[in-house]
Amino acid sequence: MTAGTAEQNPQRQARSLLAASRPSWRAMAPGLIFGILSGLSAVLLLGSSAYLITRAAEQPPILYLGLLVVAVRTFALSRGFFRYLERLSTHDAAFRALGEVRGDAFSRLEPLAPVKLGPRRRGDLLTRVIRDVDGLVDLPTRVIQPLTSSLTVVGLTLLAVLWFSPLFALALAGLLLLTLVLGTLVTETLTVGAERRTAQLRGDLADEVVDLVSELDVLIAYDAVDAQLQKVAELDARLRREALIGARGAGLLAAVFSAGTGAAVLAALLITGPTLQAAVPLGPDVALGFGEVDPAVLVTLALIPLAVFELAAAVPLAWSARRRVLTHARRIAEIAPEPAPPGPAQDQPLTLQPQLPADEQRPHAQMAPTSGSEVLADFSADAVPTLELRDVTVRWPESDAPVGAPLSARLLPGENLLITGPSGVGKTALALGLTGFLALEGRYRVAGEDVTGWSPEQLRREVCLIEQQAHIFDSSLRANLALAHPGGPEAAQDAELEQVLRAVGLWDWAQTRHGLQTPVGMFGDLISGGQAQRIAVARGLLSGARILILDEPTAHVDPETAAQMLEELLGATGPRRSVVLFSHTPVPDRLINASLQLHRA
Amino acid sequence: MKPLDPRLLRYAAASRSFLILAALLGLGQVTLVILFSWLLASILARAAAWVGILGEVPGTGSGALLAELAPALLGLGGVVLGRAALAWAVEFAAARAAVKAKSQLRRRATRALADSVAAGEASPRSRDSAHVVTVLGSGLDALDSYFSRYLPQLVLTILAIPLHLGVLASQDLTTAVIVALTLPLIPVFMALIGLSTQAAQQQQWRRLDRLSRTYLDIVEGLSTLKVFNRAHRQRGNLREISDQHRRSTMKVLRISFLSGFVLELAASLSVALVAVSVGIRLIDGQMDLAVGLFVLLIVPEAYAPLRQVGANYHAAAEGVAAAEDVFEILDDAAAHQGPPAGESPTPVAALRGVPMDLVISGLQVRRGETDVLQGVDLRARAGELTVITGPSGIGKTSLFEAIMGFLPSRGEILLQPHGSLGATSRLAGPQRRELIAWSGQRHGLRSGTVEENIAMDQPRNPDLTREVLDDIGLHVQLDHRLGVRGAGLSGGQAHRAAIARALFRVRSLDCPILLLDEPSAALDARTEEQLIHTLRGEAAAGRTVLVISHHQTMREAADHLVELSPAYVGAPR
Repeated sequence: MTAGTAEQNPQRQARSLLAASRPSWRAMAPGLIFGILSGLSAVLLLGSSAYLITRAAEQPPILYLGLLVVAVRTFALSRGFFRYLERLSTHDAAFRALGEVRGDAFSRLEPLAPVKLGPRRRGDLLTRVIRDVDGLVDLPTRVIQPLTSSLTVVGLTLLAVLWFSPLFALALAGLLLLTLVLGTLVTETLTVGAERRTAQLRGDLADEVVDLVSELDVLIAYDAVDAQLQKVAELDARLRREALIGARGAGLLAAVFSAGTGAAVLAALLITGPTLQAAVPLGPDVALGFGEVDPAVLVTLALIPLAVFELAAAVPLAWSARRRVLTHARRIAEIAPEPAPPGPAQDQPLTLQPQLPADEQRPHAQMAPTSGSEVLADFSADAVPTLELRDVTVRWPESDAPVGAPLSARLLPGENLLITGPSGVGKTALALGLTGFLALEGRYRVAGEDVTGWSPEQLRREVCLIEQQAHIFDSSLRANLALAHPGGPEAAQDAELEQVLRAVGLWDWAQTRHGLQTPVGMFGDLISGGQAQRIAVARGLLSGARILILDEPTAHVDPETAAQMLEELLGATGPRRSVVLFSHTPVPDRLINASLQLHRA
Repeated sequence: MKPLDPRLLRYAAASRSFLILAALLGLGQVTLVILFSWLLASILARAAAWVGILGEVPGTGSGALLAELAPALLGLGGVVLGRAALAWAVEFAAARAAVKAKSQLRRRATRALADSVAAGEASPRSRDSAHVVTVLGSGLDALDSYFSRYLPQLVLTILAIPLHLGVLASQDLTTAVIVALTLPLIPVFMALIGLSTQAAQQQQWRRLDRLSRTYLDIVEGLSTLKVFNRAHRQRGNLREISDQHRRSTMKVLRISFLSGFVLELAASLSVALVAVSVGIRLIDGQMDLAVGLFVLLIVPEAYAPLRQVGANYHAAAEGVAAAEDVFEILDDAAAHQGPPAGESPTPVAALRGVPMDLVISGLQVRRGETDVLQGVDLRARAGELTVITGPSGIGKTSLFEAIMGFLPSRGEILLQPHGSLGATSRLAGPQRRELIAWSGQRHGLRSGTVEENIAMDQPRNPDLTREVLDDIGLHVQLDHRLGVRGAGLSGGQAHRAAIARALFRVRSLDCPILLLDEPSAALDARTEEQLIHTLRGEAAAGRTVLVISHHQTMREAADHLVELSPAYVGAPR
């Protein structure tokens, strides 16, 4: 059973995650108590009404019924009232727990950024952190709460029935158990089976719809739209056939419960009917002895199953909700095997190992410096280079082979290095390696200091990555810049922000809006792509890093704009700061001091 | 939200038959509930009478009691089985109807989308395609609970309440009056609660929305936060946000749950009212015990469908929202349903292989509400490489989309057989497309092998496929499988594959016109040279080659350079 053990681990992890995301019993106690009170009120309302009516038929003095009348009215009020309180307190407890789960999921996601958060997996991971985490709220509200309160109320009712008719209590318990087991089994097998059969088809259908909708113009231009519609229709028809088979099971749960309720009512009549005795006239000592049934009790017992089974119907639903919650939990647990320890999260340690002997045999000719042997001349011998790389390679976490050939370079303060190469050669990997997000091998010095042994955070303070598509937060221009300030967002002075905005050429634009308070919109909707790129560079300037790594800053603008933008961006970095620019488009020579071309290893 | 959107009945035939079936089954259910209650009440009353309400025990044989009650008990058993069967049947019918309706809506909507883009009535990018994908994929599944839990209860509400009321009135007028008076209170109270809290609710929801967006924002911006060493501070931040989120949500829920509270309260209070009033009349001997019990059993049933409708309102609202998105697509398509394009379907295929000039005069192109191009005149001759340049945003891509008939345009786009000045072919967009091979800005690859993506709907031709892939410098296996949206190729590779696809079409169908939008963007200098060579070859074969490009090398290779200038754009000159 290798499949079993392989599945067990995430299952176990999902369970432990669930245990952690469950609110404490203390937090859930009010909700549970209110739930039990509400359930008891429902049972007692029916019971007391039936008892009242039957007793009334005996035509006792109205005085004796006063208490019953009060009881009926009280239970009627308390049922709705407690139900309202139950829902409120349960949700409150669930949302409290949700905050913790969100934090936990975020901690799991954090170490993955940005290396494993590439465009392909990003959507899926974000769904997990957002939607699956929200799905966990169902655990207290739709699983624990209904299971606990309905089972408790059912148990208490059975105990009460036990006093009047042990045999019927037994029968009722047996029927309940049978119905619950049958109902739960039926829903589980049928829905799980149907889901398993259709899951693949659903996924395939969604894929075909994506291919159809997202590229309709291409399909039409190549006369392939009918074929694609046909593909969608065929998959749809298959899904429909499978789903129709599954539909047969849909009503079984309702049928089982309907039959169970009726059977319990019949059982009450058949079992307690024969033991029926005349009613004790309603008076001060109305209490019946153990195992005694009079007409009013018979009527009550016969009607009790109606209320009890209605409560019990929550159990199979809670059980299938539990399965859904487990799926959510498993998807979150899969993000990362271990939750990150609280506190400052650990990155993968920056391993700057000495050069491996094997790499030394690799010919350096694969890297072709265009000017001079390594880096452009014109540096005074005593100046300390800002950046020094010797035989540097980077590796993606899962791969053994380094990306690209070893690379060497040397940059003085204020010098700019251009690294070009075809797509897929590892430009982004190198950018990530230089900023401590990927393991890097070889000699790497910043301002004359070997960065081996620096923490990734420390390295990033000196070497700042300007991402290809830096995230723009849905806030003001100020907040978007200030997050990069080395002293924290609060330490950023308006004058500093103005300075960096002027440097990237956004100040005048900002003045026509609301200055530093200019809103930028969700995902930077209110600004253009070029402006977003400028904000990203302004962040780098504000960070005070010695070296800025620009990863394809002009990937999404047309060539003319690109040339102009590069000129502005590289002009903005000042005389002391060095820039490593990754680009696949040519850059005017006067902007750069050296260039390297990457080739495939 | 409307309880039942008539468009659902119009667009999904399955929902029409389901409503009829649900009404019939609902009628059966109500009848059985009344029968069950009546049998149970009369059995209990007879049992009580048997032992004597006032303490006289006539006879000792309790077996005799069961024997007397046997027919009624059997009847009760039968009714129980019938109820179980009907309960199954309702859900089965609902599940079937949901499956069928989803399938019907999906088919109609995909067809409508394709038709509207093909007819040039909807720009391919006018609709948020990610949203459409969600709606047509998993979004429609929200209809499941709409059909299974909401619609049958809605039908039942309409059927059951008058029936139950009628039966109650025939048995006990007082009870019927109580129920008839309290039932309308429910919608009235719910509406009152809704009205008085609407403003507060909306404000809270806005706040909630902002908070959940902040959470999303932090998660989305994780990489950027990490670059600036700020990620680890976000856990505390998230906790803070979640706490605010909780407090706002609870404020909303306190009000939202009120409507549930009113429902529950009305239902249970009316049971209490009826029980007490029946009890008092029983004491006075004005009523039979059987009638009293029957009434007590029927009253909660009268409220049940209304309670269910309330309880499943949210599930239903989701389903309705999903369906409305589909209806929108279908309504748009229905609104655009003009006369069929092109009065006579000219055998366009016959024109393939005939060298054609592309002649554009006074062209005006609209994208959405704005004119993107105005007064464009252009002549691209067969046998020539025409390169279109111009600053970004000027409308070069829109020009191509207008030629392809994806964007509505005014003015003339003519295909004129080369050399014969007089004879022009006035073709509508869909027919024009038959003669054009086009590659747009996005690659538009889909799942399938590389070969399937290159050949599209044309018969396979491995030799030609290899040839066009070589021409564009893309070295991949023909049977290399791509995922959705061409996953498995890098951006640059996918772009080359798209150019290769256009070359394949132009050669396999002998299309006279080739349109390439920014083919150089993903190419290195050497491959660009190679592409230019290929394009010159196509031109030499008598084809009209039209390329949008910024690149100097491409411009220099042009026989004819067209500069789109701002004069062509925007408001009338």
